[in-house]
Amino acid sequence: MIVLHVLALLLAVAGSVLYLASYFEGGLLLIGALVLEGFAQRKKLGKAAFTQQVKGLAQKSLVPVVGIVVALVIGAIIMALTGYDPVKAYEALFYGGLIKNWHVTVLNAVPLIFTGLAITFAFQGGLFNIGAEGQYYIGVIVSTWLGLTLSPSLPSWFGIVLIYLAAMLAGALLNVIPALLKVNTGAHEVVTTMMLAYTVRTLSPLFIRAFGGDPKTSSHPLATDAIKDRFWLPLFQSILPEAIYRLHIGILLAIVAAFVTRYILRSTNLGYKIRALGYNPKAARTYGIPVGWMTTTALLISGALAAMAGATQVLGLDHRMFQDLNAGYGWNGISIALLAQNNPVAIIFTALLWGALDAGGQYMARVTHTPNAIIEIIKGIILFLLLSESLYEQLKKHGFWKRWGRRRASRKQKEVAA
Amino acid sequence: MTPGQQNVLETQHITKRFGHLVANDDISILLKKGEILAILGENGAGKTTLMNILFGLYRPTSGSIKLQGVDVNFRSPREAIAAGLGMVHQHFMLVPPLTVTQNIILGQEPVKNGHILYDKAKKEVQELSRRFGLEIDPDAPVMDLPVGLQQRVEILKALYRKASVLILDEPTAVLSPREVEELFEVLKKLAANGTSIIIITHKLEEALSIANRVYVLRRGKLVAEMDATRATPQELANQMVGRPVVLSVEKPTPTSRDTAPILKLEKLCVRSQRGLPALVNVDLSVHRGEILGIAGVEGNGQDELCKAVIGLCGIESGSIRYKDKDISHWNSRRRIEAGVGYIPEDRHTSGLVLPFTLSENLILGKSDRPPLCRHGILNKREIDSNATKLMQQYDVRAERPSTTVSTLSGGNQQKVVVAREFSRNPDFLLISQPTRGLDVGAIEYIYKKINELKVQGVGILLISMELEEIFAIADRIAVLHKGEVVFESLAQATSQTEVGEYMFRGKLARRAQ
Repeated sequence: MIVLHVLALLLAVAGSVLYLASYFEGGLLLIGALVLEGFAQRKKLGKAAFTQQVKGLAQKSLVPVVGIVVALVIGAIIMALTGYDPVKAYEALFYGGLIKNWHVTVLNAVPLIFTGLAITFAFQGGLFNIGAEGQYYIGVIVSTWLGLTLSPSLPSWFGIVLIYLAAMLAGALLNVIPALLKVNTGAHEVVTTMMLAYTVRTLSPLFIRAFGGDPKTSSHPLATDAIKDRFWLPLFQSILPEAIYRLHIGILLAIVAAFVTRYILRSTNLGYKIRALGYNPKAARTYGIPVGWMTTTALLISGALAAMAGATQVLGLDHRMFQDLNAGYGWNGISIALLAQNNPVAIIFTALLWGALDAGGQYMARVTHTPNAIIEIIKGIILFLLLSESLYEQLKKHGFWKRWGRRRASRKQKEVAA
Repeated sequence: MTPGQQNVLETQHITKRFGHLVANDDISILLKKGEILAILGENGAGKTTLMNILFGLYRPTSGSIKLQGVDVNFRSPREAIAAGLGMVHQHFMLVPPLTVTQNIILGQEPVKNGHILYDKAKKEVQELSRRFGLEIDPDAPVMDLPVGLQQRVEILKALYRKASVLILDEPTAVLSPREVEELFEVLKKLAANGTSIIIITHKLEEALSIANRVYVLRRGKLVAEMDATRATPQELANQMVGRPVVLSVEKPTPTSRDTAPILKLEKLCVRSQRGLPALVNVDLSVHRGEILGIAGVEGNGQDELCKAVIGLCGIESGSIRYKDKDISHWNSRRRIEAGVGYIPEDRHTSGLVLPFTLSENLILGKSDRPPLCRHGILNKREIDSNATKLMQQYDVRAERPSTTVSTLSGGNQQKVVVAREFSRNPDFLLISQPTRGLDVGAIEYIYKKINELKVQGVGILLISMELEEIFAIADRIAVLHKGEVVFESLAQATSQTEVGEYMFRGKLARRAQ
């Protein structure tokens, strides 16, 4: 039994590495891993339970898939109405996002996975860490600072681990303030984390000025110096020469982080208590779950996850901190988490979707001169359609679809009679 | 108060299906002018579905409804209201900060040039309350009114809309016994004035004491129609459940009372959340192997007593001793670990985590214990087998341990709470309102389980607003009135009338005797 799981995992890892390194045959390994895992699950659960689970999964993903398709259709209508060719634009969108610039898609998704996980973790505890952007910034600042100042005599891997730990610690510490305020005074974390996010952002130019190049040439640097290259995250190219040169191993870290988050939430006592608190704080308190302590822990872990996004971005891609770092990964993480219905593993896919829309959108704008804003519109519609899921429920409950069908049927009857 | 002969409302062969489920199966009922009708049934018998059909919320799959002899087909509650139907829901549909008048006229405001004529409205409300004898202050904000008066506002709302048929869904669920009496007075007056009334309830005694006729529903079918003056509670109970029911459970004799009490409250004073004294110098003790029942009208300090005993609120003075240790300043976690079990009054808000599975709910408050959890990692297999075992042992009817608790029926949900708390192997158990909203079968089962624990030597503190419940299982009875224990006695040495007297009049009752 366990052999099958391990085999599937190995296949999946090998497949992803190969795929990311531009050996697209890796995709076959990924499919193989999926089939193997399905086989193992079926053996474990029995045929009936397995079919039911697959059905449940299909049902769960039905609404998102329909939402995306409808959003694309509405986007096409808007384009057609404003004088752009939707067919050409979508051709470019898909070609750019999935084929031509697929590595940009992956690079976009990496920080989004981390911030999405951050939002989800807090959300499972009933907390809305809306200021993940701030923890992202603190992660960027700390890893840039250490990347510039750590002794070059340190072994490369040790430096990277150290930087990650320091960034996570900083992200967690930043959330100590909202956590304490929440536990002791009841101040809502939406307000406090958001305020802190703006505070940290306002502080960042000071930091850049302190590490920004030669003061003789520029008194207002727009970026810090580049961090020492021994602390850069390894590139796929260094293992597999055919890989695209910018692609770093951050995506693997992000995927691991997603599974670790899932494990913590679903299989540990800590995760159990955090979820109990999130679903029903009163029952949690009644049965002795330490509410203040769990609130604090959830917010700290959430902060650490968001800071990992910053560290990965600095060590893997930017290698410095920019002043106009207007990435909004923290804010977008909220959309990603909502879209994934707070399922850590689903976040990998929703982040990739968002990344693909961004990457494809840029390509589309360049090639077909369709404004990039259309992508933001599509994203907005997707979110709207998914969050109004309760709308479907209501319509279903009141028999709207049925009534509609009946009305059509009776109209037809009348027509026939006429 | 003899009802007239004129038929006001009539359903003919109403059937309602939801997919495969037949919620109402060929139901024909008849309501006469000035009559009070009770529709009796267990939870899930189809009472609410029937009312929702009458009120235009659902359309029947087949069958028809006649109002004043004319076929009607309501497509929405709005049409039902316009035709003269008034509904008082179990959960009131009021806007708390608005005044009584504003609530009553909401949606039907007398308007001139875009302005609401409040003076005219107020006069109308006063006139209405005089005519039907429903005393109320038209200017009081609804949120300041006690529950009984809020319900009165709901009734007035229906009357303001000229309702000739009044439907009340579980009207006594939230009322104190005194308020129930008042409500019944009002309903009798309304009926005498020609309003026809339908009461939906699962409480036998109430159906018998207020209604002229009783219809009994069971699993969607109409199983009996009875004249309330001739039916007996036992007869009705049998019809509701579909088999003979033992209404009184056998009460095992308590084990020895010579030992030191397991829980002892000494001069306990607790303030409510609003800072008012809620418990005043409460002295109580619970011994192993006995059930101490706390009777009292809702809001006389029961909430605070629960919270103080389980450790969810601080105490002002006095002490709580458990197994001869002062636990006054222990938190709930420590108390639970020391062997205190708790079945809270409201299973939805405090007893269960509804979106969790059965397995997850059954380890609430024990997720730290091996073998369920080792080194902070949960053992899924142990947790599931724990659930399977308890589901069998406590007759929880659910498909799998991974079933979400929110999908279970009220009775099964309560069994989950009971299973979890009883399987903690508690030495002391605090139980509050264990059978609220449950049907007769489930009540019987839960009493049986509580008695089993008592025989095993667990000390039990039972808090209940229902006197029958207290007398059904408690060995000793104490009455809480305005935060004070005004009466204490062995169960066999007192009577329901005596305890009721103390519940309503407190210390005054003692002087009267």
